[in-house]
Amino acid sequence: MAIPLKYNFRNLMVRKVSTGMTVFVISLVVTVFLFVLSLWSGVTRTLSTNASDRNVVTMRVGAQAEMQSVVTRDSADLIRSLPGIERDARGQPLVSPELLTLVNIPKTDGKNTNVQVRGTSPAGMALRPSIRIVEGQMFRPGTNEAIVSKVLPSRVAGVSIGDTLKSGSYRWKIVGYFDASGSAYDSEIWTDVADLQAQSKRPIYSIVYVRTTDAESARRYIEAVKGDQRLKLEGKTEKKYFEEQMVTGAPIKILAILVGVFTAIGASFGAMNTMYAQVAARIREIGTLRAIGFSRRSVLLSFVLEALLLCLIGGILGTALAFVLFNVIITKPTGTMNFRTFSEILFNFRLTPPLIAGGLAFSLAMGLVGGFFPAARAARLKITTALREI
Amino acid sequence: MKYFRLIWKNVFRKKTRTVLTTGSIVLVLVLIVVLVSLLNAMEADPSGGRGANRLVVQHATGLASFLPLSQRQRIEQIPGVVAVSPEIWFGGVYKDDRPENFFGQLSADPENFFDKIFDDATIDPAVNAEWKATRNGFVAGENLVKKFGWKKGDHIQLRGTYIPVTLDLVYIGKYNAGDESNVFFQNEYLNQSKWFGANRVTGIYYMKVASTQDLPRVAAAIDGMFENSDAPTKTMTEKQFQAQFMEMMGNIKGLIRWISLVILFAVTLIVANTVAMSARERVTEISVMRVLGFRRTHVLSFILSESVLMSLLGGIVGVVLAKFVIIPGMVKGMQTTPMAPFLINFRVTWQVLLAAFGISVGVGVLAGFVPAIRSSQVRIVDGLRQVV
Repeated sequence: MAIPLKYNFRNLMVRKVSTGMTVFVISLVVTVFLFVLSLWSGVTRTLSTNASDRNVVTMRVGAQAEMQSVVTRDSADLIRSLPGIERDARGQPLVSPELLTLVNIPKTDGKNTNVQVRGTSPAGMALRPSIRIVEGQMFRPGTNEAIVSKVLPSRVAGVSIGDTLKSGSYRWKIVGYFDASGSAYDSEIWTDVADLQAQSKRPIYSIVYVRTTDAESARRYIEAVKGDQRLKLEGKTEKKYFEEQMVTGAPIKILAILVGVFTAIGASFGAMNTMYAQVAARIREIGTLRAIGFSRRSVLLSFVLEALLLCLIGGILGTALAFVLFNVIITKPTGTMNFRTFSEILFNFRLTPPLIAGGLAFSLAMGLVGGFFPAARAARLKITTALREI
Repeated sequence: MKYFRLIWKNVFRKKTRTVLTTGSIVLVLVLIVVLVSLLNAMEADPSGGRGANRLVVQHATGLASFLPLSQRQRIEQIPGVVAVSPEIWFGGVYKDDRPENFFGQLSADPENFFDKIFDDATIDPAVNAEWKATRNGFVAGENLVKKFGWKKGDHIQLRGTYIPVTLDLVYIGKYNAGDESNVFFQNEYLNQSKWFGANRVTGIYYMKVASTQDLPRVAAAIDGMFENSDAPTKTMTEKQFQAQFMEMMGNIKGLIRWISLVILFAVTLIVANTVAMSARERVTEISVMRVLGFRRTHVLSFILSESVLMSLLGGIVGVVLAKFVIIPGMVKGMQTTPMAPFLINFRVTWQVLLAAFGISVGVGVLAGFVPAIRSSQVRIVDGLRQVV
């Protein structure tokens, strides 16, 4: 028969200070863990949001990022006649040749950052249906107008509607905000491709972005690009392209694991100390429990449960702390560098259900490690000696 | 000091408890040493602080734009300029696409690079001379050489990413500097290959001026000279140039500092909790000691000393383990992870270890304070009456 959970709960309440401190330590550790983990999941989420496997990025063989690629105008024209590409109502293939560059501009805190500028066209907008203008208007070709992601002004200075963005010899007038719903495009500035070619004096494209009708035609198109000896290009679905960019978040993931493992072991040592003290202070009680018929296994289970309870409270508190941290204290998007492009990816800290589950599981793991050995000691006690203990 | 034995005995009265508490101090210290050393490696100063009078010229819009090579001659004519080396960040793929094989690949002008510009790096003159004479030769930082095990005469292939050529380079020798994560090869070799910018453009100009006082003047002169040209420039000190990468990494530095502070706070609580537990269990004993004539200050210093002693032990074990066991093991284990590029400059300095040790003592003092004061304030009668 199991010892009622109420017994454990009350016992934890009796030693308020000791229990409170242990709970607090666990909660701090969980918060730190969630914080680092959400950095990684923020980057990953940004790079996987709305990435389609019908859209194909066509770039030079060997290029690791859009910006490193070069596609000539001739190649861009050739691509339009390849199979698999969807056509619009007027029978035109849905193709957007784009040019990318970086500008080094000041952030709102005065330090500089690299922002990716995408020269595109209305077709580029149509190819990415999840992106829409939320304020102001679309840029008009030939006017050096630009639109920026609506989250960009909170991070970068001088990119609000009406501002003229200057960088080197580049000049753009910001006329609108777009919303890319948290995807990688939310870190970018968009302008007309011909305008960008003129301003940067590069009469070329970086990539050609095409929309195919379905996954099968995407494969056909990618094969066709590969097979065309004139092009020397390769096609990747947008989804695959962004997956490859995720290596950028990998060091953060390792950092999260490192911090998680070390602090978890440290904190479970703390929990173990508390539980050993609990056992030592309750030896007579344990003897009594055994004497009235609870088995060794019940005692073991009871103390493990007590440790789990202790850590779970810490886990819940830690998750709550992280929630407050992400929703009240850090409200602006934060950024990290994409090592492939040297540009900044913006993302938000958010507590997703898998993260919450991860944090709680993490706290329970600490409870299990911290509780098992003290519980085993309690279970091994002999009734006679335990009862004799003062 | 005459009470040292008493304190020592008390610390080890409950061995499991002491081991666990010191263990958590050790873990936290090791973690902090790793984090701080990682941060130092990321922002490794290429010159180790000695090359203060170097400038880097990049395109005003940022690194994605090239500068015309025609600018070199005009920059060299500015008074105070010692030498200029055009450099291109090749960013190629070595072996395969995996991030752990990533390292810096830069072209440079061998004639003046180690002689006049990067002159605080140590390089064997024979190696330098051979590099100058070998069109397809490369030199690399010692840490990088160790990582890949390159030997003289080894060939490496670097597949270009934004420059569509594959370089076949032959290893000449190593150099030593603050940043040993780069490979340098000749501009001339890159120019021989057919790419759109050959003999026409460069990524940056890496240059040296005669003295630190010249820095602002020369920088302003360069930027002024090209302000209204097709390729406006932005000239920075080398330190500023490096800092822009750190800034782009987001607030990593602040982040690591916060994480460290929070976990230090957590470990202080763990130690405090342990000390408080052991003091609480000894209330009767402490009262007996007070009856025997020990003063409140004695009790206070005993408990505080226990806490500090425990942290000291944790500090010593932590520092030794960090330096000789855990960190070398971890660095080795992470050689095949995406973390690897950051580990090339990874060193655990004695300053960091010393600071970590100091921190452990601080943790002991902070953690011991409250329990020590509380135990010393217990009235003898109450203490003797209490049944634990």
